[in-house]
Amino acid sequence: MKMALIEVKNLVKRFDDKTVLKGVNVELDQGQVKVIMGASGCGKSTLLRCLNLLVQPTSGQVIFKGEDVTRPGVDVRRLRQQIGFVFQHFALYRHLTVQDNVTLGLTKLRKMTARQAEEKAFHELERVGMFEHRHKYPAQLSGGQKQRAAIVRALAMDPAVLFLDEPTSSLDPEMSREVVTVINRLYLDNVTMFCVTHDAFLAKYISDSVVFMDEGRVLEEDIAERLFYDHPNPRIREFFLGVIDLK
Amino acid sequence: MTPFLHDLLAYAPQMLTGLKNTVLLMAVISVTGFIGGIAVFYLTLGSGKACRKWTERYISFFIGTPLLVHLFLMYYGLPELGLRVSPFWVSVVGFTLNVSAYNARYLMTAYNGLDPMELEAAGAQGFTAPEVFRFVILPQALRLSVPALTNQVIQNLKDTSVAFLIQYGDFFSQIQEIASTNFEFFKAYLTAGLVYLALVSVIVAAARVLERRIALPGFSAT
Repeated sequence: MKMALIEVKNLVKRFDDKTVLKGVNVELDQGQVKVIMGASGCGKSTLLRCLNLLVQPTSGQVIFKGEDVTRPGVDVRRLRQQIGFVFQHFALYRHLTVQDNVTLGLTKLRKMTARQAEEKAFHELERVGMFEHRHKYPAQLSGGQKQRAAIVRALAMDPAVLFLDEPTSSLDPEMSREVVTVINRLYLDNVTMFCVTHDAFLAKYISDSVVFMDEGRVLEEDIAERLFYDHPNPRIREFFLGVIDLK
Repeated sequence: MTPFLHDLLAYAPQMLTGLKNTVLLMAVISVTGFIGGIAVFYLTLGSGKACRKWTERYISFFIGTPLLVHLFLMYYGLPELGLRVSPFWVSVVGFTLNVSAYNARYLMTAYNGLDPMELEAAGAQGFTAPEVFRFVILPQALRLSVPALTNQVIQNLKDTSVAFLIQYGDFFSQIQEIASTNFEFFKAYLTAGLVYLALVSVIVAAARVLERRIALPGFSAT
């Protein structure tokens, strides 16, 4: 039987008296790209943060490579090293150059030598067209370049899965396209990804399937085309009403 | 040659010894206070509630009470408990406790200006809390605190002049001695002021060089 890379079972997250996730069930297979969509505040980003334990779930299970990572005593450090995380606002270390942003994790966490880390960084930076910017600091980059650098920082660690939390939301359309192109290339390279986004364009071009969340629950999961256009569920139809025809 | 200049030359070896003691004390407490400040800063970010509470109390106590009280407490108070410590070491300990509290406060202020997302990103990458502190928080907080930390070094230099009150033979104590010998108080203290100003100018120049050397694009340290 094929085992999912990530299996989320009945995941619940409560913040004080507010229940953000109300029993989420979702799976992600190796090599698969799933996009999570839904209205603001529906729990998409909280779900991603629960999966790598940046946020501790209240109840339910997250099975990663067959291991329940929500049980007490789990090695959080080891788990997080296997999950690349790309943030909406890039979150690059601003005191380090692009190259040092990439090599920091390689030398300190992966214990590579400086030379090995540099070679790895060069390879990954070339992959997303950021090699020439390697000596620049985050403040010297455009939004699109920052996000590409953040993707490289995550990818260089050779994660089992890449989490992208609204990777294009803080970018203008031009920079957004630049990042979509990079993510699409990763999709074609069979990089396993979980991506939270409001960007229907991104969702359509990188997803194997789209998970639609509403008020802390998974309402539907389907391929983008079926979800975006004339869906029988009125809530989903209403949400995607404003989506430009991408056919 | 004026009588005052004659006295200055006559006391030159004594003044130089005092100057050496002043610079030594300033250098030692600047280093120990810097290291102590980082340690206290680290503890204030600790996950333990009790640890955070006690470090906050420590900072409040040393910022909220005069340095001279700490020095007198140790130099004149401790012998009553049978513990006699030299003026130099009382000064080092007293100043270090005081300067560490101030430096920790400067670093905390800088920390509050950091991007919390960067810290979350480091955690998401797999760095432990001490590693996040070492590789992300500290390099940034130090950069942002350079003006405050170098001002503290200047403050340290000026504050060493109170150490003569616990019999430490610093530069100011030598000036006092010259003044009480020839009764030319105005000239003596003016000389002291000019010497301190010259030393401060050296520190300011060094601080500007340091600021330029560590300046990064998009990283405002001033």
